[in-house]
Amino acid sequence: MSNQALVDAEWALSHLDDAKVVFIEVDEDTEAYAANHIKNAIALNWKTDLQDPIRRDFVNKEQFEALLSAKGVSNDDTVVLYGGNNNWFAAYAFWYFKLYGHGDVRLLDGGRKKWELDGRELVSDVPSRAATKYVAKDQDRSIRAFREDVLKAIGTQNLVDVRSPDEYAGRLLAPAHLPQEAARIGGHIPTAANIPWSKAANEDGSFKSIDELKALYEGAGVDLNKDTIAYCRIGERSAHSWFVLHELLGVKNVSNYDGSWTEYGSLVGVPVAVGDEPGTA
Amino acid sequence: MSGCGAVVGGVSLDNVDISTQAVIQGVITSGDAPASVGYARLLDRNGEFVAEVPISKQGEFRFFTVAGDWTVVALIPGANSRTQVKAILGKVLDVDISLS
Repeated sequence: MSNQALVDAEWALSHLDDAKVVFIEVDEDTEAYAANHIKNAIALNWKTDLQDPIRRDFVNKEQFEALLSAKGVSNDDTVVLYGGNNNWFAAYAFWYFKLYGHGDVRLLDGGRKKWELDGRELVSDVPSRAATKYVAKDQDRSIRAFREDVLKAIGTQNLVDVRSPDEYAGRLLAPAHLPQEAARIGGHIPTAANIPWSKAANEDGSFKSIDELKALYEGAGVDLNKDTIAYCRIGERSAHSWFVLHELLGVKNVSNYDGSWTEYGSLVGVPVAVGDEPGTA
Repeated sequence: MSGCGAVVGGVSLDNVDISTQAVIQGVITSGDAPASVGYARLLDRNGEFVAEVPISKQGEFRFFTVAGDWTVVALIPGANSRTQVKAILGKVLDVDISLS
């Protein structure tokens, strides 16, 4: 697949020692990175680095600038993101870097899983990068949706729920690698189509072909001329689908609702649909 | 807020109320030894992806589901397999998978 935003292993291998290309592994915890990682890669922790420590929100512009400055990332660096969970958190970080206006950011196709399954080299040496003075832009709100945007979109714009069918229907409350103990209700936002993120990925975590991705969304009956809001449970799987739509298929009027079902499913007084059908407005 | 990250080998059963879970767990072996690198993937009754965890160094994986029919896909470098299982609420189902 040829796309500026997506690089393959061969491209990565030829840039591992390029000082202006920064490989960043992004995971929810950095245990995997601590064990081994792609040569010269640094790490970002999805929770402790990218989430506000108190409120449920991102780190702000100044905090993001301080983070990247301390990590040794410059504004003119090419940032290549990869991670576990089929690149969920790396895709989230990609969206996050775009939100704060980083110029050249890319995703390694297949992430850590494909790299491991292909038997490629992982190292334990942690590189040191000199601190920089990173300057972020104000958040690009065109790619981030909030609950008010979601409520307005019910029955009028595209809502795409990218969780598994059992989560969409309310039969599961969380992905099945987590205990089913969440207190909130199950179900989905009425009129949302269920197009699981996994349908865009091959078994090794790489993205399907552009033709297959187009067929996926066209086959699901989603009119991409309308605005589209993607969501999941906390916004990382939907960042994966946002990447497919926005970066691979070039659909510009698509945003990610990072509040996702964790927020929506806890709201008082909003409509909820259960079962396998989208439901009505 | 808890994330969606998959814990290597699966979340521990410590402090989990098993009575509300249908747990599927097991070990993936390659030859005579546990596979140390690989993934376990869970598919629903229609073959749709539900969850995936990196296996532990001892080849272990664990999923938390509801009762029903599921498929466990084992993925290790150079080999993979599919195993159909039936999960029961309140029970821990052990599924050992051998790949050569």
